[in-house]
Amino acid sequence: MPEQHIYGFIGPNGAGKTTLFSMIAGALQPSAGHIRSRGKDVTGSPPYSLVKSGIARTHQIVCPFRAMTVLENVQVASHFGRKSITRTAAACDYARQVLARVGLAHRADALAANISLGDQKRLELARALATDPELLLCDEICGGLSPTETRTMLDLLRRIRQQGTTIMYVEHDVKAIMAVCDRVMVLNYGQKLAEGNPYEIQNDPSVIEAYLGKAGSQKKGRVA
Amino acid sequence: MSTAVFAPSPLEARIRVLLPWLLLGVLALLPTAGLTPNIIRLLFITFVWVTTSLGWNLLGGLTGQVSFGFAVFYGLGAYTAALMIDRGVNPYLSFLAAGLIPALASVFIGLPTFRLRGPYFAIATIGVSEATRVIMNNLAITGGASGFRIMEHRLFRQVEHYYTALGMAALAVAASLLIMHSKFGMGLKAIKQDEDAAADLGVNPYAYKLTIHAVAAAFTGIAGGVFARYAAFIYPQGVFAFQTSVYILLMPVIGGIGTVWGAVLGGVVFGIVEEQLVANFPQIHLLLYGALLILIILLEPDGLAGMLGKLFRRLRRPKRKNGNADPGSREADEVFRGAGSS
Repeated sequence: MPEQHIYGFIGPNGAGKTTLFSMIAGALQPSAGHIRSRGKDVTGSPPYSLVKSGIARTHQIVCPFRAMTVLENVQVASHFGRKSITRTAAACDYARQVLARVGLAHRADALAANISLGDQKRLELARALATDPELLLCDEICGGLSPTETRTMLDLLRRIRQQGTTIMYVEHDVKAIMAVCDRVMVLNYGQKLAEGNPYEIQNDPSVIEAYLGKAGSQKKGRVA
Repeated sequence: MSTAVFAPSPLEARIRVLLPWLLLGVLALLPTAGLTPNIIRLLFITFVWVTTSLGWNLLGGLTGQVSFGFAVFYGLGAYTAALMIDRGVNPYLSFLAAGLIPALASVFIGLPTFRLRGPYFAIATIGVSEATRVIMNNLAITGGASGFRIMEHRLFRQVEHYYTALGMAALAVAASLLIMHSKFGMGLKAIKQDEDAAADLGVNPYAYKLTIHAVAAAFTGIAGGVFARYAAFIYPQGVFAFQTSVYILLMPVIGGIGTVWGAVLGGVVFGIVEEQLVANFPQIHLLLYGALLILIILLEPDGLAGMLGKLFRRLRRPKRKNGNADPGSREADEVFRGAGSS
């Protein structure tokens, strides 16, 4: 997995994309095999220690601290991420900077439960970013967003990559993946089906078959 | 809808800082005002309750781990202090031990029980608490079920007890405020909201829960020790009773769960009400607590502190009418309704 890339993962429902993420981020234990980060075996490490070694994730289903404000949500990540800021004021300042980066500064004092889904997705990203990751796992960060919101989000991912963070990106929206990724891997039934740059993937016969072979996936098939 | 951003004026902020000190000053001067021993005793007991209330609140209110087993720490603290004072150890040294032993015990209790979440954790703590009571009922060195009488070879001075308890309660308030506004407290709040999400941001939930459990146990244990020295007689059915656990939990719930001043208020109200209820309705006073608890949960999940807060806000803005529905703190929601969902 190359550094400072946006590496996309696509695949039909149940292909194992989220499971792969959960294993890398430490929420699930792989039943076989190992996960290595920069040559170091991190298989089975709990999420909080992976955060300290620079791996952070966002969730497909957002899970903000609902009774906290947006700022406090990000503040937690500033305190306990790799920056490990102890002073409250410093953590707040840093959290505000991160919120500004994702364009959520104007909602800083709102309760996380009360902001729109689009903003909650941004918050999810802001929290992960505030842990100062080297590897960012984004699970369907654009799921449920409008086309405009999706475009802003993708721009954001590009900017994050430019600032030196590697991104692994899962999305159902093939168009989004193709637009933003440097390399793409296609998963099906937990197996790697194909890997390559977006152009190669779009013309890979096995990928087209996997998508078109499924009832109800016509839309995705057409795009692929 | 955003949170009602509550920006106090500079004067108000200053009053907020000064008020606790003023309160402490008044309480420190009270014994010189010629109060009856009965009133001083009532205040003493109230300080003890306030301390346990604050202790429980750190784990139950701030971290969202509802425990029904705090009588274990209260009782262990009481017996530790009792045994040491009886052997002639300095009482204040004994109180220190009365904090340390329960803190140690809390780690042993927490190691297995914190593997459980929500109501499962709560039920496990009941089991631990009952088991401890049975053991203490049968332990020879403490006199078993017949209790333990402390012989302190010092003159009994009620005022000294009063100041000890006041100091202890003040310390518990200070520690609670410090924890709540620290990085540590932020991690605890995150755990209360969503343990898994907190772990994804770098918080180690297991270690944090164990740590705050120990701090809470220490305060509860010291309170038990201070009470034991005053009472001079303790027995397992008293300090280790399930009822004691319920009392300790009830106070922050009545006062306002998850907030320092709510827990203090709960302790004060409980201390005074308990006195009156037991005196006037000895048969049904537990029933009345049950009714009170149900009323609070139904009508005002944020407790008395939440109620006062609302009242205060309404007084500040008399012009705005029904439109400003108070969103409440959600703290209580998390504990009452959220505990089951995780």
